[in-house]
Amino acid sequence: MSKNFYHYPVWVRIWHMTNAVLCLFLIVTGFSMLYSDPANDLVVGFKRAVSVHNICGILLTVSYTIFLFGNLFTANGRHYLLTLKGLGVRLWQQGYYYVYGYFKGEKAPFPVNSERKFNPLQQISYVGVMYFVLPILFVTGWALMFPEFILKKFLGFSGIFLTDQFHVVLGFLIIIFLFIHLYVSTMGKSPMSNFRSIVTGWHESH
Amino acid sequence: MVFKDLFFCLFLSFALVSPAGAAPQQDETGVEKKQKGAEFSLYANENNENCLKCHGRLVYTITDTVSGLTRKDLMAEHTFISPDAFYKSVHWSFNCLDCHGEGFKSFPHPLEVRFETGWSCLDCHGYDPAYAQYKFEEIDIEYQKSIHYTATDGAFTCWQCHDAHYYNPLARGTGDGRENILRSNEMCLHCHGNPEVMGLVTEKELTMVLPRHEWLPNVDRHLAAVRCIDCHTRMTDNVLVAHEVMPADSAVNTCADCHSQNTILMGTLYKYASKESRDQKGFVNGVIFRNDSYVIGANRSKFISMAGLLIIAAVLAFALVHTIFRIIIRPIKKYYE
Repeated sequence: MSKNFYHYPVWVRIWHMTNAVLCLFLIVTGFSMLYSDPANDLVVGFKRAVSVHNICGILLTVSYTIFLFGNLFTANGRHYLLTLKGLGVRLWQQGYYYVYGYFKGEKAPFPVNSERKFNPLQQISYVGVMYFVLPILFVTGWALMFPEFILKKFLGFSGIFLTDQFHVVLGFLIIIFLFIHLYVSTMGKSPMSNFRSIVTGWHESH
Repeated sequence: MVFKDLFFCLFLSFALVSPAGAAPQQDETGVEKKQKGAEFSLYANENNENCLKCHGRLVYTITDTVSGLTRKDLMAEHTFISPDAFYKSVHWSFNCLDCHGEGFKSFPHPLEVRFETGWSCLDCHGYDPAYAQYKFEEIDIEYQKSIHYTATDGAFTCWQCHDAHYYNPLARGTGDGRENILRSNEMCLHCHGNPEVMGLVTEKELTMVLPRHEWLPNVDRHLAAVRCIDCHTRMTDNVLVAHEVMPADSAVNTCADCHSQNTILMGTLYKYASKESRDQKGFVNGVIFRNDSYVIGANRSKFISMAGLLIIAAVLAFALVHTIFRIIIRPIKKYYE
């Protein structure tokens, strides 16, 4: 018997939608700057890419701050609290399910319920992205907007060079996360059920 | 902003006259180098020190040979020659009279020698196989097409940028890159930052440099990292440093001209370095790092790009295989259940 859970309050849904749109703009404009080529129509012009990237970066920082406060002061934050004890085993169980158990028709080892919104693999990746990758992306991104504050030299390398390399590497991580996030989202009750959930707020269980 | 511009010009003016600080060393340094240069000079028996005892000092002493009176006086800035800088230039081996007229031998100098016109670079270096690699003739062709020539009826000469007393090649990969950029831009600001100097060759009113460049993000960093001529000359393959200075409205004003893989900087500022080394340290346009510069869009790590794209491709491939399994295996499994 399937049961639906209200897991995505309005503020989470609005934040998630904003986050998704801004990230898409940032990825497209970031790629356009990294692979800037006036002869290539696939990339946005450098000047426009810089402007849009800067504006979206600022907006994403605001949106992230709202998310951070939301997690601090609402129940949503508990889903991002990792329990380290037994984490390795739980990650293995979930990974095994995705690559093997799922096809054998086994039950999900960590199904969504009223207390659990994320399985262990989702939880560790969301915690990693939201609490580690994004903050460093913000710091490096803001630093590149105000390069006069970047150290001129660090460990023999140009400060701007290192900052930008960090920014690019983390940008790639976000793209990789995005693809995995989108694909795993198709593994709900039906391929579209999880996408419906983040719009309606109700999670449809198997 | 006007104040900022004024400060910038004052700073550069100071930088231009600052070799004066080295004047006390001129006797020792000058004499030593003079002897080395003597063998190359037409006037090997002459002595530059006769000229430099006045023109090599900001404060010089003159003596009335009749009355025996002496007095100190200030040397005019434009007739002062820093001995230290002169003896470090490529023309260090010359005697003053190799280039200046015999009239200068007498003092006070007769009025007519003040109308002496300076030699152009081509007068000595043109059509000489010994200097063929520098392509002075090509430079002259570009110069004659430049706004400097056409807008001043030829009043603008090589000397406005290249004072032969102090000339040293900047673009051939020697010395500190940022320092070379500063020196190059000083040449431009010597006129474009000084209305009086600019007034010697044109009646055109001087426009302030910084306000015209405020469209650039982080304008100070841009102006410290590239030479004026990188945007204001027509790029050419003929010579190492392009000399066809274009009208201001024809200058580069598209970000992607520099911020792209095919950055024009590789054909301008980094032309010499890029000829020596097209690629460095696994980075696209890596020679730009020589100047401690990093140009977003022009520079990127090949390794990071390759690794990132490969991982993304691997994720997509995994998702594709997983999807195929979901489509094929799960329904079969369910059917048998």
